[in-house]
Amino acid sequence: MPEGIELLYSIETTSLTKSFGDLVAVNDVSFSVQKGEIFGFLGPNGAGKSTTMMIFTTLLKPTSGKALIAGFDVMKDAKHVRENIGFVQQETTVDEYLTGRENLLLQAKLNHIPKNEINKRIDEVLELIELSDKQHQAVVTYSGGMRKRLDIAGGLLHHPKVLFLDEPTVGLDIQTRRKIWQYIKKIHIEFDMTIFLTTHYMEEADNLCDRIGIIDGGKIQVIDSPQNMKNALGNEIISLVVENNDNHDLFLAELNKIEFIKKINEEDLKLILFTSNGTEVIPKIFQISSDLGIKIVTLSLTQPTLDDVFISYTGHEIRDDKSKFNRKIEHAKMKRLRA
Amino acid sequence: MNSIMYDTYTIFWRELKRYKKSRSGVLIRLIQPAIWIIVVGNIFSETQPLIQSVGFEGEYIEFMAPGVIILTAIFTSIFGGVNTLWDRRYGFMNKALTSPISRSAIALGKMAAISLIAALQASLIIGIALAIGVTFPNPLMIIPIMGIVILFSLGFSGISVSLAATAKSQETFWGMINLLGMPLFMLSPALFPLELLPNWLAVIAKLNPVTYTVLLVRELMTGVSEGGVPIWISIAVLFGFVLAMVAVTSYVFTREVNKPF
Repeated sequence: MPEGIELLYSIETTSLTKSFGDLVAVNDVSFSVQKGEIFGFLGPNGAGKSTTMMIFTTLLKPTSGKALIAGFDVMKDAKHVRENIGFVQQETTVDEYLTGRENLLLQAKLNHIPKNEINKRIDEVLELIELSDKQHQAVVTYSGGMRKRLDIAGGLLHHPKVLFLDEPTVGLDIQTRRKIWQYIKKIHIEFDMTIFLTTHYMEEADNLCDRIGIIDGGKIQVIDSPQNMKNALGNEIISLVVENNDNHDLFLAELNKIEFIKKINEEDLKLILFTSNGTEVIPKIFQISSDLGIKIVTLSLTQPTLDDVFISYTGHEIRDDKSKFNRKIEHAKMKRLRA
Repeated sequence: MNSIMYDTYTIFWRELKRYKKSRSGVLIRLIQPAIWIIVVGNIFSETQPLIQSVGFEGEYIEFMAPGVIILTAIFTSIFGGVNTLWDRRYGFMNKALTSPISRSAIALGKMAAISLIAALQASLIIGIALAIGVTFPNPLMIIPIMGIVILFSLGFSGISVSLAATAKSQETFWGMINLLGMPLFMLSPALFPLELLPNWLAVIAKLNPVTYTVLLVRELMTGVSEGGVPIWISIAVLFGFVLAMVAVTSYVFTREVNKPF
């Protein structure tokens, strides 16, 4: 890459596909992540998030398609990709027997940070993640959250252009999770890095990401900002449960005529209405139901969450084990391991 | 080249740091060779006439002490690669693989660290041997002996690192190690002179790099040249073995870690 040309995209991928045998874990995925963005890959276990990340970090070779990270091709120029990325894995990988500082020193050496810079950089990240006072203790004495912070710090030391975070808060309690989010935001501002993260926590994606790609079954279902995604569903959601009635279909048809209702999802007698003007819609619903003699059991008005977005794009909840497909992939992976 | 040296040193440094923090293992690993030299060395002390028949004048225990030094080196280095499996399981390997260091440097750094640890263990066994009455005609010989142990362990640890990179499970790894370790030790003049082996076994023993290493150490330690192998051949075989293992391990390791674990 010639010097001086400003890269617009930190990640660019076209028709990326990875199959294990006849199973397609990542299926014809194309998207770009802008420089400086926090981009989240959201999907259930086995959706293809980790496989995609392993391709981006040069740990796996794609079956076909192309991926450019910081302008370098993961297939042809893996070494340059590695020089420009930081990778924080899902499991904590810090060495328990070494002290916090020694772990960072190891990371600094692995990433070829110039000798005279090493100490300065370590002090800098230790301060950022607020572990300066614990730096000379063996990691074995650290809590889960502290280990994770140390791991993230290790990924930052060499000031990579793109930082990959694989499920950064999985297995952490909610306070610790929020704390980690704060650090990630701080890092993003202070180092001006592009951050690519995977998660299956809606709240995390909503909280951190400028844009989100929802991936399911190896395919990207939608990419947009969390706000746009929620807006597309209308700004309010009315959930109601009705009693069974012969006029049910008629009731639905009448509801569909209300102008503010954008979409109706139906699960047996539970109706979810995506709407833009809930407070005006509710009296209309009561009007229709009493005209048709339908009894409303419960009714609630909520703001849409990413969970709702996810369901509307994939047809199932993120925690659903919708997993004939997943299990097959896992099985294929296991078979490869044993072979 | 400069960078591969630096990277190798990084991994070497990390392995030694970890070793230093798990020192309790040092003593445990000394028990087995100590039993060999104390128990077997004494049980077989009556075999002195056998040893004398091939021109070795000293006690049996003096004859077999070099064998036990090499035994220590064999087992320390052949077990040494096992943390490669842990590294892959617990993510350190992926961390190293996504950093700009070369794959060969990871393998070489591990080998270098294992070899130094093996030499350390072997030196403790030399201490035990001295304590139970084995004598060195020339104490200065301990320097070339340590050099040989380091070289030999460097080569031998390559077997361990390659196997660990290839094996996907602990079970496979330990199975392979057991398959290799003991036979390679037994099929060498570590415990008995080469001349006493039946011909077909002697042929196999002469294909075994352990044989030449034992002969070298024995010659340096006792001054007796045994087995009719000139010293320069032993040295050449040892160097050849180490170079071949460095090359093979770099190749196998690089190939294996690029596959998904």
